[in-house]
Amino acid sequence: MRWWMRLMRKARAEKQLDAELRFHVEQQIADYIAQGMTREEARRRARMEFGGMDQVKEEVHEAHRGYFLETLLQDVRYGLRMLRKDLGFTIVAVLTLALGIGATMAVFSMIDTLILRPLPIHNPHAVTFLAFPRDATHFDPSFSVAEFHEVSEQTSAVFSETAAMIMGGFAGPTARADGLTADGITRPVQTLFVSGNFFQMLGIRPYLGRFILTSEGQVPGADPVAVLSYRYWRARFHGDRTILNKVALINGHAVTIVGIGPKGFLGPTPIVEMEAYLPLGMMTVETGGNGAFLTDPKTRDLLVVARLRHNVKIERANAALAAVGQRIGKEYQRTGVGTLQARFLKPPGLVDGPNPFPPLAALFLTLAGLVLALACINVANLSLVRAAGRQREMAVRAALGGSRSRLIRQLLSETILLGLAGAGAGMIAGTLALRAVSSVALVSASAFPVVFEFPFNGRVFIFAVAVAILAAAVAGIVPALRASSADLSDVLHEGGRTSTGRSQRTRTALVAAQVGGSLALLVVAGLFVRNLRGAQHEDLGFDAQDVLNVTLDPGEIGYTQAQGVEFYRQLLDRVRALPGVQRASVAMAVPLDNFSSDDITIPGYVPQRGEELHADYNAVSPDYFRTMKIEVLQGHSFSDSDAESSPRVALINEAMAERFWHGANPIGRSFKRNGDAQHALEVVGVVKNSRTEDTFSPYGPAFYVPLSQDYTSSETLQIRTAGPPQAIAPEVLAIVRGLAPTVPVLVVRTMADAVRNSPDGLLLFDLGAEITAALGLLGLTLAMIGVYGVMAYAVGRRTQEIGVRMALGAQRNNILWMICRQGVVIVGIGLALGIAAAMGVGRLVGDFLVGVAPTDPLTYSAVSLLLTCVALLACYVPVRRAMRVDPMVALRHE
Amino acid sequence: MNEDRSEFLKGTLDMLILKVVALGPIHGYAIAQRIRQISKEFFQLQQGSLYPALHRLEERGWLKADWKDTETGREAKFYSLTPKGRKQLETEMQTWEKLTDAVALILRTAE
Repeated sequence: MRWWMRLMRKARAEKQLDAELRFHVEQQIADYIAQGMTREEARRRARMEFGGMDQVKEEVHEAHRGYFLETLLQDVRYGLRMLRKDLGFTIVAVLTLALGIGATMAVFSMIDTLILRPLPIHNPHAVTFLAFPRDATHFDPSFSVAEFHEVSEQTSAVFSETAAMIMGGFAGPTARADGLTADGITRPVQTLFVSGNFFQMLGIRPYLGRFILTSEGQVPGADPVAVLSYRYWRARFHGDRTILNKVALINGHAVTIVGIGPKGFLGPTPIVEMEAYLPLGMMTVETGGNGAFLTDPKTRDLLVVARLRHNVKIERANAALAAVGQRIGKEYQRTGVGTLQARFLKPPGLVDGPNPFPPLAALFLTLAGLVLALACINVANLSLVRAAGRQREMAVRAALGGSRSRLIRQLLSETILLGLAGAGAGMIAGTLALRAVSSVALVSASAFPVVFEFPFNGRVFIFAVAVAILAAAVAGIVPALRASSADLSDVLHEGGRTSTGRSQRTRTALVAAQVGGSLALLVVAGLFVRNLRGAQHEDLGFDAQDVLNVTLDPGEIGYTQAQGVEFYRQLLDRVRALPGVQRASVAMAVPLDNFSSDDITIPGYVPQRGEELHADYNAVSPDYFRTMKIEVLQGHSFSDSDAESSPRVALINEAMAERFWHGANPIGRSFKRNGDAQHALEVVGVVKNSRTEDTFSPYGPAFYVPLSQDYTSSETLQIRTAGPPQAIAPEVLAIVRGLAPTVPVLVVRTMADAVRNSPDGLLLFDLGAEITAALGLLGLTLAMIGVYGVMAYAVGRRTQEIGVRMALGAQRNNILWMICRQGVVIVGIGLALGIAAAMGVGRLVGDFLVGVAPTDPLTYSAVSLLLTCVALLACYVPVRRAMRVDPMVALRHE
Repeated sequence: MNEDRSEFLKGTLDMLILKVVALGPIHGYAIAQRIRQISKEFFQLQQGSLYPALHRLEERGWLKADWKDTETGREAKFYSLTPKGRKQLETEMQTWEKLTDAVALILRTAE
């Protein structure tokens, strides 16, 4: 019934009650007049006797409400009794619903963490970050210290607090992990250098000790203190409270640990954890003591976050920022950017470029919803079978005066009880699934510590319960309508075989829809798996197999550049001498893991308006290209004779040659890095394009410089081996310890693993494929159960018919076809529906696929074939039972 | 009506209504009149209890209602008994008889 019909019915009932009561009074008046009263007197008397009209109405309504509650309790009690009586049905239905609800809840929980959950800080909705927009989705959020101070001073009318931060290992000339040394052991740590008012701006309190003070961080290297995050403190120091006021080393520089951050606070973004907070001035631990970042107007490493004053709207703040931004733009020559703006700091944080999360969330939620729908159909089908058995009960109750709406309500309350039980079980299943996702190990030489934790909270709970009730209503409504419409005489006349053809058709249609939904799920899963396969087999431009990466940092233990260079030289010599080692080299960056880029200037090249000249780069030892198997196409690689004092040289990739020299021979040309204005780099060779920061973007310019001309203390030793690369790790580590016993070994992993498991590598492809495959398998299972159920039921119902036909001499083949026809019809309609649905969902998927079309015919046909086989297999068991029907037994049944 | 009679009525009102309605379709006003007359004015049925009771019985499926014309040509809501209501009336009457028999027996025996 539509809601407006219900409203109209309610209004009519009200009118009728009014008429009924008025009739009573008027009748009374008429009687009194008949008894000889005057009209006036009769009316007065009748009114008085009747009492307040409204009061009577209210009492009638009260009776209705009381009745509703009373019957609700009855329904629940009755429902529980029926469910207990039919325990097999109940268990299957609850488990099926649990799968659907669990899948939906798990996806919702991820969305909650990545998109919905506000940061655990004071009034998170007033916190903004500042940026110069470039276009609709890109922006430049970096500021120099001078710019930050200017913005901060001139916007104090709209912002109560303006703070700055620099992510360690992210800014500065090289991308590298920071190390924290305590008790002689160095481990990577994600640092965040913050202005003194940072924590005040967030409005949070430390778990232990104190935060960084407003007075700290103004002078380079002056305030050697650090605040650790709660998680890091628990994991690294096991929650030891005596750690306060102790000294640890960060990149070899002593700092005092003065406080521990609050529980549950990961930093200014929801999934990347900041593990140690230092005053801004302590950036010297990253720059090797150089304090220029505080004074140089061209060094723009700061991200600026600001809290809106109470009652200040972001529009007003933006008006103030526009003026300041314009002044800054002129004063510090910022070109090619728009008006300075504040944007709300919402999860997932400062995403430069299109935010991939909302469309991804929509996709996964759609898929999970589809699984839930399949589960609902299964429960609906089971209920239909059960309803067929209960038709007598329903018909008799209807005949005894049970109203139709009452019967529907009673059947629905049964399914809602099922749904709530399913929600309980589903929450458990969903939590287990989330735990599996969270356990994905993310190890990376410098990539941030990503916390994949999806806590169960009130929002997730409410979502799960709401989904369960909705699912139950969806699953329950068809059987309830069908069952309650049963006519007593029909039912009683039909004998034992009570299921009518209509009910069977309903079930067939439902199962066909199920096969369709499952096909759509499988297609998406297939596309994602093909996507992963494609990415795995894509030519990365280097050979990731049989390479071991060992990331070291002798700078942490105070090695100077000369000592460091000597350390790596000796290390390479000794490692090369190991049996099974084919090549060995040292590089600053590992592709798909911690590559970074640099701004460059090219003499003679005129950039277009807004075009920024930057290129990915790596500093490598001479053997690097042979170790990684990156082909040198033109010119030659570096040699040992490239020293710090000799002319600066570089190799470039094809993309760089093409972009800046347009196919002319680039050998002998030169370019400059913006951070090093006095040296021009001469191009001595061109190498093949290879992957640097991700696996799917078009190749961009990249260049390589010799390690000897661009030393950093944190380097990765790369070893190409004849056998499995892990096997050689103990010997390599022994050599490292032999050379320098305390040098921190930050990461040991194979290159293949770095490609597979870093966020920039295949990790997201892998996660996408795993999640969609899990949902696809769930869908397939549910569809199989559905097909099996409807076929088994059909065979059971037609046992007598089959017996009669056989007794009359029907061939087995005829019987086989008679039964199979239904299965074939289901699968056929299901496939057609599914392909249409998959085309629809495919549009959501397109953006996440690289190298596979969302209409990939191979995926469609393979999945259709798989589904057909599985569906026919599900038919096979019941059909075989039909074939074995003994005519005598079947007929005796009659 | 005094307190005692009101309490007494509460448990038995449903039964009295069912009994009166069992005689044939009848509207609310007539039900009140009939009960008053038959009980020789002992029960003065209040509208505040009659109509909630009628609606409750209808909802339980013991009574059903139709709008029909009275002999004076006015439209009124006529109640009649459903099969379920008839069964309910029988049960209640049996219980009632057992109860009154038992009470009478006690009263007589105790004399």
